Amino acid sequence: MEITFTVLLWAVRIAFLVLLYVFLIRAFSGLWRAMRTEEAVAARPAGIAFLVVQRTHRGGPRSGDRLPLRAVTSLGRDAGNDVVVNDEAASAKHAVVSFADGEWWIEDAGSTNGTVVNGTKIWQRERMHYGDEIQIGRIGLRLEQA
Amino acid sequence: MLRTKAAARFEELRLLVFVAGLLVLGYVAVVASAAATFNATPVVVPITFLGLALGLHLFLVARGVRGDQLLLPLALGLTAIGLVEVQRLAPERLALQQLTWCALAAAAFVGAMLLPRDLSVLQRYKYTWALLGLLLLISPLLPGIGREINGARIWIGVGGVFQFQPSEAVKILLVVFFAAYLDEHREMLSAPPRRFGPVPVPPVPYLLPILAMWAIAMVVMVFEKDLGATLLFFGIFLAMLYVATGEAFYTLFGAAMLVAGGFVAYQVFGHVQARVDTWLAPFAEETRFGPSFQLVQGLFAFANGGLFGAGLGNGMPERIPVVWSDFVFAAFTEETGFLGGLALLALYLVFVYRGMLIAVRAPTQFLQLLAAGLSFIVAFQTLVIVAGNAKLIPLTGVTLPFVSYGGSSLLTNFLLTALLIRISDVTARVRGGA
Repeated sequence: MEITFTVLLWAVRIAFLVLLYVFLIRAFSGLWRAMRTEEAVAARPAGIAFLVVQRTHRGGPRSGDRLPLRAVTSLGRDAGNDVVVNDEAASAKHAVVSFADGEWWIEDAGSTNGTVVNGTKIWQRERMHYGDEIQIGRIGLRLEQA
Repeated sequence: MLRTKAAARFEELRLLVFVAGLLVLGYVAVVASAAATFNATPVVVPITFLGLALGLHLFLVARGVRGDQLLLPLALGLTAIGLVEVQRLAPERLALQQLTWCALAAAAFVGAMLLPRDLSVLQRYKYTWALLGLLLLISPLLPGIGREINGARIWIGVGGVFQFQPSEAVKILLVVFFAAYLDEHREMLSAPPRRFGPVPVPPVPYLLPILAMWAIAMVVMVFEKDLGATLLFFGIFLAMLYVATGEAFYTLFGAAMLVAGGFVAYQVFGHVQARVDTWLAPFAEETRFGPSFQLVQGLFAFANGGLFGAGLGNGMPERIPVVWSDFVFAAFTEETGFLGGLALLALYLVFVYRGMLIAVRAPTQFLQLLAAGLSFIVAFQTLVIVAGNAKLIPLTGVTLPFVSYGGSSLLTNFLLTALLIRISDVTARVRGGA
């Protein structure tokens, strides 16, 4: 009886250590898979959503161009913007499209001629849905999912 | 925002099965060793804990959280090991107390998953968080609620029973503030307008709030005699500054400041001097049974463990004073050996690496810095206490994340885990895929 107890207790102790390693290996393989998908994601083209050029003018971006969006994307005429809108009616810093809390948002950056979404001029930060159309000057851009 | 659509989290569930196994086996081993027989009475603690674990998993499933599935099982697994160790090392009432803290930590986890609804609140009210952190930091110095325990005035108590260590929560607030601040001024700090050779000189107003925050933290820490937290705050501060700016100079300069500050503290403060002296010569005749007794016993525990350990419940870790809070790592290594200690450290490695991966993937710079800072908390804290146990650096009283006995620490670490999972959830949603 005494011996059986000792043997069993040691079996439990060894099983604990073995299980600790099995847990560790499973966690490591989870980490490994995460890194592999990370590489796969990195290999994909950049951008989580796009602004697709709908309407434009001579000398502007070509119609049908897909401009990749980042978590925060600035739009404007200045070359420092993430998306450069070379229209005379566009301000240097015109608008900002951002992703927050699972949604896309657009905000006018104090432009002279304003930002129009789906035909309505915006006055504050507005939520956007896929398919919405932004108009800056004569250029029309539609939000599309990647 | 709709988040109520349930989403399966099979990887998490599979890993939780191992957590359950670890907890039950560990518990059986330590309880049977103590009682010299198998009996079924002390299963209340593991059963309750597994209920909590399953509850948290189901909560994430029900909320449709698509974020990381590794962190929660890792956190719960480490906490389970902690419960086993508390049962092994501390009197029975502490096991029940730790279980109560687990329940509170689980509640904090749920709370942090629900509030704030949008993480950008953390960014927007950054000075509020900094102020709150400051208030928490000085709260133990206030008469009435402040408590001094084991020579460090880092506790606040309400009534006679409930005690909390506010510096734990301050770590998260500090990281939030640093992340928001560095995100806002990153360009000015990383590409300063003036340079003297390798020395970047950003405009002073940009550095002032950070330096002030740091200086106040240092001063308070000196008065509260909490060296571990000082080391942690400073380490986190430097690491985040480096991640945000990529300027090695800041880090080197900061490290030099730390060495200089440490030297001054060694000359001026008796408690610092005592820590360093016992570290340099723990076996000295006059300190061996005095101030360095804890460290010496810890070293014997490591030696006694050897490669495979003495067997869970079969060692003599109770000979280390206050073993359940400062020396859990030594106790665990004595009984599970080098192999067990290594596995435990590797679990932390996976946790921190996962946190850094979340940081790399996060969609905004603020979230990137936040995730990196939160990971640093766990990394530094593990490093400081394990290295302290092993006499690699002077021993400072910080907890081993998730494992040490201690409620404030457990609560903070589960908050931190919840935030990391939320950041990865945001990433998963932005990317719209896996």
